[in-house]
Amino acid sequence: MSESLYAQLLNLAVGALLLTAVLILWRRELAAIINVFALQGIALAVLVGLIALDEGSAELGAVAVGVLVLRAGILPWLLRRALAGAGATRRETQPLVNVVSSLLVAAGLTLLAYLVSQPLVALDPSPAAHAIPVAVAVVLIGFFVLVTRRLALSQLVGFLLMDNGITAVGFLTTAGIGVVVELGISLDVLLVVLVLQILKTRIREAFGATDIDDLRELHD
Amino acid sequence: MNLVLVALLTAGGVGALSAVAGLLAPARVRTAVVGVSITVSGAAAAVAGVAAMTGQGAVVALPDLLPLSGVLITVDALGGVFLAITGGVAVAVGIYGIGYCRQHGLNGRGVQAVLPLFVTAMLLVPVAASVGTLLLCWELMALTSLLLVVAEHRSRPAVAQAGRWYAVMTHLGMVAILIGLLVFSANAVDGSFPALRDAASGLSPTVAGLIFVATGIGFGSKAGIVPLHAWLPRAHPEAPSNVSALMSAAMVNLGVYGIVRVGFDLLGGAQDGAATWWWLLVLTLGAVSAIYGILQAAIGTNLKRLLGYSTTENMGLVLVGVGAAGMFATSGDLPLAGLAMAAALLHLVNHAAFKTLLFQSAGSVLAATGRRDLDDLGGLRAGMPATTAAFGLGALAASALPPGAAFVSEWLLLQALTHGLPTAGASAAIVMPLAVAAVALTAGLAVATFVKAFGIGFLARPRSPEAARAAESPPSMLTGMGIAAAACVGLALLPTLVLPTIGAVAGAIVGSTDPLQIDGMTIRLVGVAGSLSPLMLTIALMIGLAATLAGVRVLATRRAARAARLWDCGAGPLSARMEYTATSFAEPLQRVFDDVLQAEQDVDVTHARESSYLVQTIEYRRRVPDRIERRLYEPVLAAMAAWGRAGRALAPGSVHRYLGYGFYALCGLLILLVVTR
Amino acid sequence: MTALGAVGVVLQLLIVVTLSPLLTGMMRQLRARLEGRAGAGIGQPWRDLRKLMRKRPVAPHGTTEVFRTAPAVLVATCLVVAAVGPFVTTASLLDPVADLFAVVALLTLGTVALALAGIDTGTAFGGMGASREATIVALVEPTLLVAIFALSVPAGSTNLGVIVTATLADPAQVFSPVSLLAAVALIVVIIAETGRLPVDNPATHLELTMVHEAMILEYSGPDLAMVELASSMRLTVFLGLLANLFVPWGIATTGQPLLVAAAVLAFVAKVAVLGALLAVGEVFLAKLRLFRVPELLAGSFVLGLLAVGASFFLA
Repeated sequence: MSESLYAQLLNLAVGALLLTAVLILWRRELAAIINVFALQGIALAVLVGLIALDEGSAELGAVAVGVLVLRAGILPWLLRRALAGAGATRRETQPLVNVVSSLLVAAGLTLLAYLVSQPLVALDPSPAAHAIPVAVAVVLIGFFVLVTRRLALSQLVGFLLMDNGITAVGFLTTAGIGVVVELGISLDVLLVVLVLQILKTRIREAFGATDIDDLRELHD
Repeated sequence: MNLVLVALLTAGGVGALSAVAGLLAPARVRTAVVGVSITVSGAAAAVAGVAAMTGQGAVVALPDLLPLSGVLITVDALGGVFLAITGGVAVAVGIYGIGYCRQHGLNGRGVQAVLPLFVTAMLLVPVAASVGTLLLCWELMALTSLLLVVAEHRSRPAVAQAGRWYAVMTHLGMVAILIGLLVFSANAVDGSFPALRDAASGLSPTVAGLIFVATGIGFGSKAGIVPLHAWLPRAHPEAPSNVSALMSAAMVNLGVYGIVRVGFDLLGGAQDGAATWWWLLVLTLGAVSAIYGILQAAIGTNLKRLLGYSTTENMGLVLVGVGAAGMFATSGDLPLAGLAMAAALLHLVNHAAFKTLLFQSAGSVLAATGRRDLDDLGGLRAGMPATTAAFGLGALAASALPPGAAFVSEWLLLQALTHGLPTAGASAAIVMPLAVAAVALTAGLAVATFVKAFGIGFLARPRSPEAARAAESPPSMLTGMGIAAAACVGLALLPTLVLPTIGAVAGAIVGSTDPLQIDGMTIRLVGVAGSLSPLMLTIALMIGLAATLAGVRVLATRRAARAARLWDCGAGPLSARMEYTATSFAEPLQRVFDDVLQAEQDVDVTHARESSYLVQTIEYRRRVPDRIERRLYEPVLAAMAAWGRAGRALAPGSVHRYLGYGFYALCGLLILLVVTR
Repeated sequence: MTALGAVGVVLQLLIVVTLSPLLTGMMRQLRARLEGRAGAGIGQPWRDLRKLMRKRPVAPHGTTEVFRTAPAVLVATCLVVAAVGPFVTTASLLDPVADLFAVVALLTLGTVALALAGIDTGTAFGGMGASREATIVALVEPTLLVAIFALSVPAGSTNLGVIVTATLADPAQVFSPVSLLAAVALIVVIIAETGRLPVDNPATHLELTMVHEAMILEYSGPDLAMVELASSMRLTVFLGLLANLFVPWGIATTGQPLLVAAAVLAFVAKVAVLGALLAVGEVFLAKLRLFRVPELLAGSFVLGLLAVGASFFLA
């Protein structure tokens, strides 16, 4: 495919990544957040696929398919199953930082990401490199979600957001992490989700809710 | 492939193999296999050490074994001394450990596998020739000894606390050594000792002083020098006795090794006139440790704790010799410096021999009676004659009386100190008499301490039922004690066998010729008028004894002796409760030194119901806290606890707070990156 | 040298063994006369020894070999010191043993043997005597060694023969501050080591005041004879050292028989004079409380330290 088309599609995919990240920050219903996360997974898969097409690498194509299956399929399914078992609390009613401020902070984080990634972009000005700041912004926004959400499930989504962003940065900088590494990272992520799911169930059984702030009762 | 290299490789190889054997051997033969292989390893190391002392050397370089620094091993004369000492101690303790571990239930895989590793690590420290190698072996030695110290933690809760103190202090010491050596190697081409030696002349006095002090803190703490001695009287009583023997007789020497290696060899402190204050510091700390250690030993009643404090005292005396050697060398009097260093090295050898013997006997007593406190022992001569004789020999050696072993080294030390007056200037005129007074006070208190330990612990009548039931130790323990006793006797009567080599090594360290001249059985000092013949003294004493006994036999009546009751003022037979205890024996000394010790005493008098003029029971409690601990350690520990409590405010239990810390840190770092680019 | 040395050893042993009980007898007689008593005569200690030797030995229950051999060890150490000390000649047969540190250590060995015997009896008296003696020994050591240090500085050695020869060669040295301070320090040390007033009363049997007597309370018969002989010999040896280290004139440096005989007479005379002075001093002194003794010893330590300082600063 031609260079400019490739660049356009790449920017589109990366933009979709950022947009979904901001949407996760904006929406409150857990079901909606999980759907948006699945969309982000699709966008990430498209990103990897585009890079694969540009490089002409079949290996990367396989990785793109794997990303699609894992991050747009398996993970959202697991999250929805956890949500189904959650019961009443299906809404993030009161995040620590209210929605308006969250969005402003997201904007600030994006700016910070751009400033920080300047040297990386200047190193090799290709279309992939120009997309790096956005991916870094996704990482920071994911961390922010992790920090400011009360429900365990939304924190988990924030963690997965961070991981998506890191994967994106990886593919954009090196254009070839390799199947084994991606497999390893994905396995880790899968395990984290499973473990956290079990933990969440246990916490709910013990304390009745998974409001993280209630865990404060356990301090010294 | 010379003798040194072959012997060293044998020692290391056997050590490693016996660690594996300790893991794999079946329980019935485990202690025997490990014990015998430790002995073999020790013997090989002793051969290597003696060969190195006589001038042969060896270098082994393995640059790929460790990342970044490689492993460099060089056996020279100074390392050879410590190799020989450690090897000798291992020979005695290896066999002893067979019986002891079996009796005490220490034949688990863990202990038996770690014990040879400890010995091997101690053998490798004196031959390490680069910073990386030295630190690796040092840390290995610290870890293995820690595991051995806490070997009995399931049976006694005090062991865990002792282990904690030991772990923290040995690692803080390691950090200090690390800092010093890293600063040193930062100023040199790389971390190997030859490169450090070359770089030493280019160091500024401040940097050299900093390196000496930093490494001195770490090595001094390992040697048990005040004020960093607190681990020693805690770890030694709680460790198994063969481990205590290894630690006291072999491991603490390596602290002195470090100071001599860094100060004399690497930093060239004998030639540098500006380095006099280092050696003055070493001498002062040595003298203070010697007095403090023996004072605590004199009033202590826990037998192994007493022996631990005695180790502090002896290491203090060794450092007095090292410090005096340094002071004499920097003021130009090299023969006297060689003499002082020879005295220090001989005292190390003597101390290793008699401390091993003493700890082995103490372990034997502990195994037979289960009691640690002198106030509960006594009357062991009847049930344990061999152990009593061994402890008596060790006590004679430790109290620096002729015909004991330490008399010769203390004589040499006193000769060095008393002849230093004319040459070394006004500071020496004040320091030397005080040093002699300190050594003398130490000697006097050591006499009192070991009279107490031997007399109260082994003679007269038993003070507890366990002491009355004591039975002699198994043959392996007796063999181990016999080896150490033979070493003590040999060093007492024939130090002329080891002194030529030790004198040559000492001279080489300070850069002079051999300060001693051996004539058959007499030790003569080179350059000053003084001579001593321990063998002649002992023979004279024996002749005198024989003459006295013969005279009495001739002149006295021929009637046989009759047994009688002890004088009891007619009030009836004396019970064991009426004997003097160790606490009461030391009470006059405690009163004289009350300002230093500040004992806490409690007397509880319960009066009879009929009248308050009559007494029913009296209870006396005495606790002598370690005053240095109280003044120095407790404020530091209290500050750290307060800091920890303040830090709790950082952890209120909110997960969001914790995550927020990470987030703020990340963002802050990124902003910093952007701003400072 | 060796002939003189051998003759010296034999003569010294003979003199010390035979005449030291007479020294004790003389001191006791002098004290008795000064206190208005008739006294038992100078030869009484020998008569006591003879009587004790004829008694049947008694071994208390529960004591070990330490108790049985301690008197012999004590006498043996005194014999060795008597053989090597610079009493009649400066050239000793056992020159490598004739070191001041070695001599002091040997005498301490004797005290240790007795202290262990005291503990071995298992009575409170024995333990108490041993405990007090151990405290005194511990506190006397610094003074003793510092005084030796002060003596060795002018001579350049701690060998007894060398010190005496150096003093003979430079007589004016005796009146130097170094010598005088060291002499006073040594006098206090000798009083403490031999158990004389004011540190210990050799004639007491009250438990509150006993130090040496408490350790030997269980001894009787030949053992007690050995202990009594040893304590007389210790006193003789210490006074002999004090005399010949500071006032060595009369000592034989060559082997002429006349000189040797004169040396014997000089030694006997000096020790007798010192003994008499000690006895007279004891008449006027009371025994110090046990816990005042450290103060006395600390004072003597300071004098010894000043002696060493003077030897440097006034050299």
